[in-house]
Amino acid sequence: MSSNIKRKTTDLFLQGLTYLASSISLITLLSIIVFVFGKGYKLINFQLIINDYESKGYVAELQHGSQFCNCDAQMDFEDGTYYSRRWGIAFSDSIDLLGKNVVEVEYVSPFSPFRALQDKGIGTEPILMRTDYTIIRIAFDDKPSALSRDGAQIMANELDNSDSFREIEFKTTGGGIRGSIITTLYLIVLTLIMAIPIGVGAAVFLNEYAPINRFTRVIRSLIETLTGVPSIIYGLMGLAVFVPLTVQLTSATGGNIISGAMTMSVILLPIIIRTTEESLKVVPDEYRQASLALGASRTQTTFKVVLPNAIPGILTATLLAIGRIIGESAALVFAIGASIKDNISLTGKSTSLAVHIWTMMTDEPANIELSSTIAIIIIFIVLLLNIMIKLLSARFMKRKLGM
Amino acid sequence: MEISQQTANTRKRRFFDNLMRGVFLSAAVVSASFIFVIAGIILVEGIIPFVTDNQGVGSVDLWKFITGATWLEGVTFYSNLYGVGFIIVSTLYIALLSLLVSFPIGVLTALFIAKVAPKKLAESLRTVVEILASVPSIVFGLFGSGIILKLVYDFSNLFGYQSKGGNSILSVVLVLAIMTIPTITAISEVAIRSVDKAIEHGSLALGASVTQTNFKVVLASAKSGIFASAILGIGRALGEATAVSLVAGGRRSGFSFDILDTTSTLTSIMLEGMKETVGIDYNIRFSVGLVLMVVILLTNLVLNAIKRKVGNVHVK
Repeated sequence: MSSNIKRKTTDLFLQGLTYLASSISLITLLSIIVFVFGKGYKLINFQLIINDYESKGYVAELQHGSQFCNCDAQMDFEDGTYYSRRWGIAFSDSIDLLGKNVVEVEYVSPFSPFRALQDKGIGTEPILMRTDYTIIRIAFDDKPSALSRDGAQIMANELDNSDSFREIEFKTTGGGIRGSIITTLYLIVLTLIMAIPIGVGAAVFLNEYAPINRFTRVIRSLIETLTGVPSIIYGLMGLAVFVPLTVQLTSATGGNIISGAMTMSVILLPIIIRTTEESLKVVPDEYRQASLALGASRTQTTFKVVLPNAIPGILTATLLAIGRIIGESAALVFAIGASIKDNISLTGKSTSLAVHIWTMMTDEPANIELSSTIAIIIIFIVLLLNIMIKLLSARFMKRKLGM
Repeated sequence: MEISQQTANTRKRRFFDNLMRGVFLSAAVVSASFIFVIAGIILVEGIIPFVTDNQGVGSVDLWKFITGATWLEGVTFYSNLYGVGFIIVSTLYIALLSLLVSFPIGVLTALFIAKVAPKKLAESLRTVVEILASVPSIVFGLFGSGIILKLVYDFSNLFGYQSKGGNSILSVVLVLAIMTIPTITAISEVAIRSVDKAIEHGSLALGASVTQTNFKVVLASAKSGIFASAILGIGRALGEATAVSLVAGGRRSGFSFDILDTTSTLTSIMLEGMKETVGIDYNIRFSVGLVLMVVILLTNLVLNAIKRKVGNVHVK
């Protein structure tokens, strides 16, 4: 009897252990999501996607002949926003990413002279004052400058009480990820253009043409071995093979998007080959025989019968590839570089979204907020891709069973 | 006339078929050849520091490199005194510790999903594991840097230990463990599922309880697959770079097994500020890469040998 009780307690204990272990996965996922959303949600807005990362400083003056406008605002302002009617511009107090108090532009009237300012530096183009730019100081001819540390109200009042000002120093909004988004998109497109044809071609050979012999087995196991190579090793290969290659062939001088895409292609080949092959395997042999019996050639059969039936598999491979490209960091640090850029060119250095996070986190001080915002974007895309893959394979399975 | 037209057509078609076959074949050969490109280039570039005098700096001593306790003595570009001995040790130590954390958790989770949990719960937990598996490593690094470093810092403070902002072996181990749990869970679950039902029924018929059967019979029968998941897990732990580099702390010298000490791994040292694209500072990274590949290869060989020793129970 007592041994029975002992057995029951042991069973309960062991069962409890499995519950405990499983809860850890759940807790980890939840805490990651809570963490990135908690840190990153503040910065999520549309501006983030279209803004530059580098914030640029300007010193500007009124354009020759332009004057204050005495224009009414075409909107109502919240408390804490101060409008200078004379100049048609509104300021508010704000805090920047580093936690400093700054004065931000809230609104610029369409008739305001701030719509076209003269750059006092080397630029000749008129510069536009936009909302979300931060004002550093406004210098007047006849009184002390209005500084950002005085706050928005004083700055608006000082400006409103003056007929002219000598110069204004301001900064464009930084902290945007437009550059990294463009780089990531370029990477995805270029990589897929290179990797999908080679990968699908290899899968077609292995499944449709390859004789069952030693040679095929060796090819297969060599491709399989690629999956075990850590991505940083791929990065080293990109650095030593593809970077010099692109430097030779293009105007690039170092790591660039093309060399990055080539490196990603190699990483993705085994994944694309395996996924495509799996979908080729389930195309029934009767299809091939019917096509050949109708007089179609081998090539026609492959392109018109086999491949169209394998499209869900190729699509799945593409989605998997996109997910991997978005998440990859170590290989790209070597193959492209880790400097965040705003002007993206295919032959220049830049960062993908994942490497953008890495660069900011290795900087001093680390920018956890913006990193988390990018992480939210990455997780969101990866989730979306996962759902699409699930739906795709569900449809595929249905078709298979329907036959 | 008609017949010769037909043979010409057939010949043309056969030629085209052979051409396409050649195209597909070359795609396969190109894909397969990259493993040689990788191995070759790492070998060639990685061996340069040992066999040349590195533009006057002097060649690196292979034995000192492998056993050294300081990453670099002297000034970058002017010194050949590189050593990764302490990093090899810490890399293996970290991989082992992270497996010690992730293996039991991963296997028990797999058992829970496959055998213990009600169907709905199992289904949603499987989704959770899948999502975790698809989260990119840099996000785990960010999480580690934002949360785990803080926890470890507070934890070490409890013992009156000033850790360097939490950057430590423990942090790396935890980050790697949560990264490898989904891998281990997914593969172990497949192994557990494929255990022959007859074995289970036999155990139950002999009077063992369901839990006893799960732990003593099912797990034992699936041990080959479970072991395979551990091999994959340790491979992932050895090769992970960016996430580790965010929480390791960048140790430059000295063997240490203290889990609250800063550390470096073979991957994290490779990521540390590369300034040039020529010379010893560039090539030494390939040497580290070479060491990493050898370490991974040897680990795999040893584990596979153990796996064979452990033996297989017949599974369907």
